[in-house]
Amino acid sequence: MITPAYLVITQAEQTKMIAINNKKGFDLKISGKPSGALEPLLEPSHVAVLPAKIPFIKPRLKVQVGTRVKVGTPLFEDKRNPDIRFLAPGGGEVAHIDFGPRRIIREIVIRLDADEEHETFDRLGPSEIASADREDLVKALMAGGLWPFFRALPFRDIADPGRTPPALFVCLDTLEPFHPRAEIFLKGQIELFRLGLEILKRLSPHVYVTAAQANEPLKAQLNGEISHTFKGAYPAHDPGVLLYRIKKAPEENAAWFIHGQDVLHLARFFTLGQYPIERIVTLGGSAVSTGKHLRTRAGVPLAHLVGEVEINDPARFILGGIFTGCLGHPDSYMGFYENALNVIPAPQDPEAFAFARPGTGKLSYSKTFLSSLRQTTLNGDCNMHGEKRACVNCGYCAEVCPVDMLPQFTLKCLLADEIEEALAHGLLDCVQCGLCTYVCPSKIELAETLVKFKASYYKER
Amino acid sequence: MKWIKQIFDAQRPLFSDGGKLALLHPLFDAVETVFFAPAIPTTAPTHVRDNLDLKRFMSLVLVALMPPFIFGIYNTGYQSHAAMGLTLDFIPVVTTGLTIVLPVLMVSYAVGLFWETLFARIRKHQISEGFLVTGLLFPLSLPPTIPLWQVAVGISFGVVIGKEIFGGTGRNFLNPALTGRAFLFFAYPASMSGDAVWRVVTKADAQLVDAVSGATPLALAGLAQAGDSVTTLLNKAGYTFETLALGNHAGCIGETSALLCLIGAVGLMLVGVASYRIIIGGVMGVLASGTLLNMLATPTSSALLGINPVYHLVMGGFAFGIAYMATDPVSAPGMNRSKWIYGFLIGVLTVLIRVFNPAYPEGVMLAILFMNLFSPLLDFFEIRFRLRKRVVNV
Repeated sequence: MITPAYLVITQAEQTKMIAINNKKGFDLKISGKPSGALEPLLEPSHVAVLPAKIPFIKPRLKVQVGTRVKVGTPLFEDKRNPDIRFLAPGGGEVAHIDFGPRRIIREIVIRLDADEEHETFDRLGPSEIASADREDLVKALMAGGLWPFFRALPFRDIADPGRTPPALFVCLDTLEPFHPRAEIFLKGQIELFRLGLEILKRLSPHVYVTAAQANEPLKAQLNGEISHTFKGAYPAHDPGVLLYRIKKAPEENAAWFIHGQDVLHLARFFTLGQYPIERIVTLGGSAVSTGKHLRTRAGVPLAHLVGEVEINDPARFILGGIFTGCLGHPDSYMGFYENALNVIPAPQDPEAFAFARPGTGKLSYSKTFLSSLRQTTLNGDCNMHGEKRACVNCGYCAEVCPVDMLPQFTLKCLLADEIEEALAHGLLDCVQCGLCTYVCPSKIELAETLVKFKASYYKER
Repeated sequence: MKWIKQIFDAQRPLFSDGGKLALLHPLFDAVETVFFAPAIPTTAPTHVRDNLDLKRFMSLVLVALMPPFIFGIYNTGYQSHAAMGLTLDFIPVVTTGLTIVLPVLMVSYAVGLFWETLFARIRKHQISEGFLVTGLLFPLSLPPTIPLWQVAVGISFGVVIGKEIFGGTGRNFLNPALTGRAFLFFAYPASMSGDAVWRVVTKADAQLVDAVSGATPLALAGLAQAGDSVTTLLNKAGYTFETLALGNHAGCIGETSALLCLIGAVGLMLVGVASYRIIIGGVMGVLASGTLLNMLATPTSSALLGINPVYHLVMGGFAFGIAYMATDPVSAPGMNRSKWIYGFLIGVLTVLIRVFNPAYPEGVMLAILFMNLFSPLLDFFEIRFRLRKRVVNV
């Protein structure tokens, strides 16, 4: 049997870092960056999982209100593959299940016991990983509720356990405002991270560990483990962008990715035999007086996360980054994938003569405000800053698109139901970074439309 | 600011559904949002949005149009006074200029706005700010003697046929202001060309004191016989290079000063509102084709072949057209290389029409409209070429 080209590990890959330079993209100079301080947080009284925030899954509940659960008890499974399970991030009693319209499961809330119990898992020992069957390893990861951390490009759904991906990206640095910084969650965990990489290497022939080229401390910390470095503006870190820059053949499109912090969870699971619930999350954004890193647990209540930190009301809570995150609510909880809470001001009063102001303090991609001459960070809010208009083909979206798409033309293909043409335009290469929507002066929901069509294409396939 | 807001709040019921003036709701809306940008919250997943909106985008074009507009007022008055032998003092000249230009401008805006409001009402969307640009570009591209009813007819044609019947802003493939101008040019040639239309002479028995009858530089250049030097001819008529560049001569209201158009164009390119590819491409096209024609010129060929190509940049409406008309993003191509080609060909066609077509002394209007038609095709080929380089992902 001939090994496909993409499965062959080249000499260059083994020995040196490959530098990927991105000329497109855009760095938003928004204020509210979390400081490097890492503070431990007190235990919350409740934790939750938010099935509705996990893309594509069809959850089937395994618990009901009142069920006693331990840390690691399955709460629900994915109907599409019942072996993919989501486990309880806390020990106690299921206090509340919040159903939305059409019985979509929004929240499964667990009231924590003072003494939480942990499920124990049949596990492979850390030393057995190198010699274990790949299949056994996958089974262990699925039973441990860790499989959903692996996601497959281009649709970013949970990876298909039956497949061997052409490559597996490990995303350490993130350029989106604001996520936990790799050097902070990796501090003192390097050995654990290396063990995690051992596991990943059993799943894919190519494990690409990616970091920002400028992040010298991280490169020093992870001596020799980093395979790809990237340079450029947001979203140069995104696995989809990195793949787009390095792929040579269509087979490589189905690469997987996992976030750096989640690699630590895999390693913890195999070391301790327990469902890992420790998380390092950030609190940031322009409405937060002092952003910081916090050591806490999965599914923590957002209000608990904010604690005593001052928030300028009215504000919007965003789970995840400000370009791609989902809408949060102060009474809600941290999601399964998200490790960041960003709070930005909500719009208040109409601004008089907004269009005619010099704009020394206005964030913009364009050079139409005086702020483009400043280098300082500025407050960003969740105001549309204008009304919806027809596309005038200004081309800003194509200028920023990190994967060289032409969002304004692709959008027109989609609105005319020319899906084939949109695919030829690279619809599936879209990394869903949201920059096209951000820069659009006509306030057209470009990214939302592209992502929607991409998802419906996936479901029909 | 509060009292303005109170005025709007008080009047809103009148313009809302069921109000007496509900038909004018788009107009009310447009005026209100000029004063107060509405605070609309974003929707997930992109939580932050750029501060730039179409209002500011188009306002910047208006700002860039101010130098030729203000100078146009002065120059119109100046030319009128010069033709009638009146005082050339600043204040009376500007006053005369205002009395000539403002009615044209007001008719253009009022009639255009009527159509915009009507279509916005029927289509249930807001009035697009693009109209503010069209409504100013159009009068600036007209001769000062234009009858006001023709202004109304022209802007109606431009807005309705040039834009609205194709679906409104963003869907027009021709520049609406130029479409309106082209309509007037072909429908009422007597008001749009000739030597008599460029200066307003109000006194019936006024003596023309100026040596030149009021012919534009281009018309004059077209008169040159084989073997003449066009430059000498122009110089003799008072059209030195400096005069042409500064714009103190007869012509359309806003187009005479190439220098001020250049200032506007540089400003628009610096803020990224106008494409530098189109503007520089256009200038390159003029210079390249002008130089080529210079090389082809023989003593017996038309004198225009031998004209210094730089003169093409400052004569007629080229500077105005390439800076403000050709750069309309809707009717220009969207792809970068296409923009270079588009601009370049506008330049080439302008020169070709000027030199080889005696019926049309000025070529820039037709060149831009012609290239507008080719924009989708240029985009089509460039996109196809570009997509070939992608690794297939389906």
